[in-house]
Amino acid sequence: MSLGMRIVIFITGTFLFLTILELVRKKKFREELSLVWLLVGFGIILASIADFVIDPLAFRLGISYPPALVFMVLFLLLVVVVLYFSVVVSDLKGRNKELSQKMALMEFRLNTLQKKD
Amino acid sequence: MKSHLIVVPAYDEEEHIAGVLDDIRENNPSADILVVNDGSTDKTSELSKLKGVMVLDIPLNIGYGGAVQTGFRFATEFGYEFVVTLDADAQHDPSSLKNLVSVMEREGADIVIGSRFLEGTYQMALLRKAGIWLFSVIARLYTGLTFTDPTSGFQLFNRKVFSYLSEGDNYPLDYPDVNIIMALHKKKFKVREAPVRMVEKPNGKSMHAGLRPLVYVARMFLAILMVLLRKED
Repeated sequence: MSLGMRIVIFITGTFLFLTILELVRKKKFREELSLVWLLVGFGIILASIADFVIDPLAFRLGISYPPALVFMVLFLLLVVVVLYFSVVVSDLKGRNKELSQKMALMEFRLNTLQKKD
Repeated sequence: MKSHLIVVPAYDEEEHIAGVLDDIRENNPSADILVVNDGSTDKTSELSKLKGVMVLDIPLNIGYGGAVQTGFRFATEFGYEFVVTLDADAQHDPSSLKNLVSVMEREGADIVIGSRFLEGTYQMALLRKAGIWLFSVIARLYTGLTFTDPTSGFQLFNRKVFSYLSEGDNYPLDYPDVNIIMALHKKKFKVREAPVRMVEKPNGKSMHAGLRPLVYVARMFLAILMVLLRKED
């Protein structure tokens, strides 16, 4: 991997990692949900210096250009992240439904009680 | 409190709701009526309240199935014996309710689905007809019974069924269809159908219009697959 490429990947990873930490510090990103992204940032940082793993592995897999392996791994990681967040959204949708239904029923009970008073 | 509850899920139906409620009351004076206002942005809730029926206001638009399930929850909490679901767009003729009741009594059914195709001539787009036919075939293969109108929202449930459907994810958020018939059959509930009269939607707008049919069919296939794959709890 060229030095230029290495620097670009390192800076990108560090920037992502620090941005996420900052978002969590400002409480704009929940800690439990940020972990999976911190992992991605850390993975990118590692990718810039982990030639000793990447190069032989790329060679074994028949990938002639090792950075392609880095991108492939990152792509798979991102797929996992997106899947994770889809599950979270799905769960939230279910909870939203429960909450809205309970609220509608409670409001009805409250109005009935108020009318009786 | 009466033993029958008519649940009318409604989303932005200010145009039809008053007429629908008058019609229901005229035809079924012995039932309580509950409008489940699914986060409407118009005057659906106010107009319903003016008609003196019970109204549940869901703060968000959670979808047709979610609104119907809220009605099931209400009926379970308040001890009703039977629930009828009837759409707020003036498509279902409330005078047909007696057909559902008589089939339930005669056949000892737990749920009766109102079919617009058993009697009379109901006009609809060819594509929609094809979809209904396809799902009818699937329902027949699985249950051994013929359901000519599995997408119908005009249904009668006994307490055993609606209290089961009121729990958690037992009822889908969007449109309950043949998947629910299959799921209830799997749970050993007795599902039957009865003829009802329906008129085409007065404003010609359908929830199955536009590009949605393809997505709908794909989703329904997924829902059916899930019914087959899920283990009984």
